[in-house]
Amino acid sequence: MQPTSSMNEEFLKKWQMGLQIFRPSIDNTSVHERKKAIKLSADVAMASLRKGTTCWSRALIEKTATEDNFLVRQMLSGIKAEALINKKLPKKIVCHRKIVRRSKKILRRKSKSASEEAAAKAKRLVKRRTQGLRNVVPGGELMSNDVLLLQETLDYIVSLQTQVNVMRSIVDAAEAEIER
Amino acid sequence: MSSSRRSSQASSSSRISDDQITDLISKLRQSIPEIRQNRRSNTVSASKVLQETCNYIRNLNKEADDLSDRLTQLLESIDPNSPQAAVIRSLING
Repeated sequence: MQPTSSMNEEFLKKWQMGLQIFRPSIDNTSVHERKKAIKLSADVAMASLRKGTTCWSRALIEKTATEDNFLVRQMLSGIKAEALINKKLPKKIVCHRKIVRRSKKILRRKSKSASEEAAAKAKRLVKRRTQGLRNVVPGGELMSNDVLLLQETLDYIVSLQTQVNVMRSIVDAAEAEIER
Repeated sequence: MSSSRRSSQASSSSRISDDQITDLISKLRQSIPEIRQNRRSNTVSASKVLQETCNYIRNLNKEADDLSDRLTQLLESIDPNSPQAAVIRSLING
């Protein structure tokens, strides 16, 4: 799956809209706040491409809303902003490592052949990597289903590629303009 | 429902999700430039794909962050009355 040109266009339009919303207050803000507005509008623009249909996009919108509620509401007005921001996300899955480790130790006491051990080790590694993935995908900690996690990851990657490609084009073009 | 039917139902649903997972992992493999370009399809393990996926996502986020920085710096540095500023404004405002 690759980002399509319509995704690129839609992202650009939404990002520009977010930057416009921020513009009026630009004189009273610090450089840091300006950078934050640019980044946050890019994130909301990216997430809103999915119109609330994916878990990662809802989680990202909720997270961004905690940092700049006004910006998010303005950017999403017309796409059921309230519903997306106040939507109750399922409870986080808390894994008590000590308990899991202890129960695994008890299971492991049975002696195993070398190949069984190797297979078990590979399985543990995959589990650890999957947990790592949960940590980088927005809302990942809420996805107990591995299939869902992988589907969301694929969609998130395509969206990130869109965000980065469009931002890069704009910044490159702007820097080229300055060097004229 | 007899217990044997229940267990075969359970194993068939886990078979379906195993297939789904294999399929999704191969799709991931194709999305990640690092793996797609450097290796032949069948020699990359699931755990490697997952690891590279995490790295790729982190890198994309970092790049988006850096680009936001560059854009901020750019806007700081231009003279608002210059012709370049007008062009840049149209880029950013659409």
